[in-house]
Amino acid sequence: MNIPDETLMAYADGELDSAARTEVEAAMHDDPQVAQRVAQHRELRARLQQEFAVELTEVVPERLLAAVRTPIPAAGSKIVDLEEARSAMAPRSWRTRSYKLSWLPVSMAASILVGVGAGFLVWRHSDSIIIQNAGDRLVASGSLARGLSNQLAGDRAPASAVEIGFSFVAKSGDYCRTFTIADAAGSGGVACRRGERWEIRVLTQPGSVGARGSEYRTASSTLSPAIVTAVEELISGEPLDRTGEIAARKRAWQAAGR
Amino acid sequence: MNTNGTAENVHEQIVALLPRLRRFARNLTRNPHDADDVLQIALERALLKLDQWHRDARLDSWMFKIVRNAWIDELRSRGRRDLIFTGAEAGDHVGDASLDREVELMSVQSAMGRLPEEQRTAVSLVLVEGLPYKEAAEVLGIPIGTLTSRLARGRDALQAMLAPPQGTAHEHP
Repeated sequence: MNIPDETLMAYADGELDSAARTEVEAAMHDDPQVAQRVAQHRELRARLQQEFAVELTEVVPERLLAAVRTPIPAAGSKIVDLEEARSAMAPRSWRTRSYKLSWLPVSMAASILVGVGAGFLVWRHSDSIIIQNAGDRLVASGSLARGLSNQLAGDRAPASAVEIGFSFVAKSGDYCRTFTIADAAGSGGVACRRGERWEIRVLTQPGSVGARGSEYRTASSTLSPAIVTAVEELISGEPLDRTGEIAARKRAWQAAGR
Repeated sequence: MNTNGTAENVHEQIVALLPRLRRFARNLTRNPHDADDVLQIALERALLKLDQWHRDARLDSWMFKIVRNAWIDELRSRGRRDLIFTGAEAGDHVGDASLDREVELMSVQSAMGRLPEEQRTAVSLVLVEGLPYKEAAEVLGIPIGTLTSRLARGRDALQAMLAPPQGTAHEHP
């Protein structure tokens, strides 16, 4: 009998239709070598299943459970992309007020997003939610929140989508940090720590700040004038140095004296 | 499109899949830390496009695919270093395996780790995770014939690494 080994393998894996199965079984009956080969395929499969079964009993880390359970927006809201968010927001009353929420600005000034009012908004980056609405304000989530909490200025973890420009203490006493989003030229902003959240104070539109010489360069990143202006308004004193950042991170960015 | 009721249900189904997803991610990355990082990224991505999951499709296959894509993206951003090393190293080991006495003692896990990436993912999906060929081929985005040949080569390599020396291979207690 001349049955290809791949067919015997497929038989052992239960992948053959009944006609092919009958043929293999006849061959197994006639030829001990065929039967033995099928047995080897079955054994290997059983052995792999058994050896790897132990990994299923391990405790799943909290952060993975949280990744599934926590980023879900409040009941009734949907995860949407920017375009959808904008149209969904259109009928809201705040839009008739003076807020000018323009995510696709024609000018630099319009690219700043400050003081966003109520309304649901989510910003995706590389298929991950990095900014979402929490009640009346925007907060960082996902990789952006992790980067803000964990990364030091100028450091960029291999898998991180975020780069931290610098950190500073705001006049309110809160810690704030500038950030840029990798692979989204010029997008970035300022986030300030309030309680357990990173609130977004300023956000610049991806692509609105091109490599046209219209940006300021700092040691480790490129900041749009919008961010620089916002920092100048917020900042109290000088940006933190590395030691200051490490100390702030140690206290989970909780404002001093509270 | 998902409704709130089913969406919640799907989240819990994904939670229930986490041990398997972790195991798959480990076989994929061969590093538990990378595995958890990649899985976390994959989970975030999956939640964003839950509405793209068709309820008649297998959720595990869909998730495996997202995990694998997340890992491919990660490797790309690392400049393909790992992919290149994997191919060269594993090839060497597989060639030597049947001649090498010490392979007798090799654990299944380390034998898996020595397979080239293509074979490892095929073996992992079909033999460890128990996916049908068709599902595994879809996860990997390859024709079923390609999957079958990767699986066959992976099996042969594993058998060579795990089998006792010639002559005792057929004996079983």
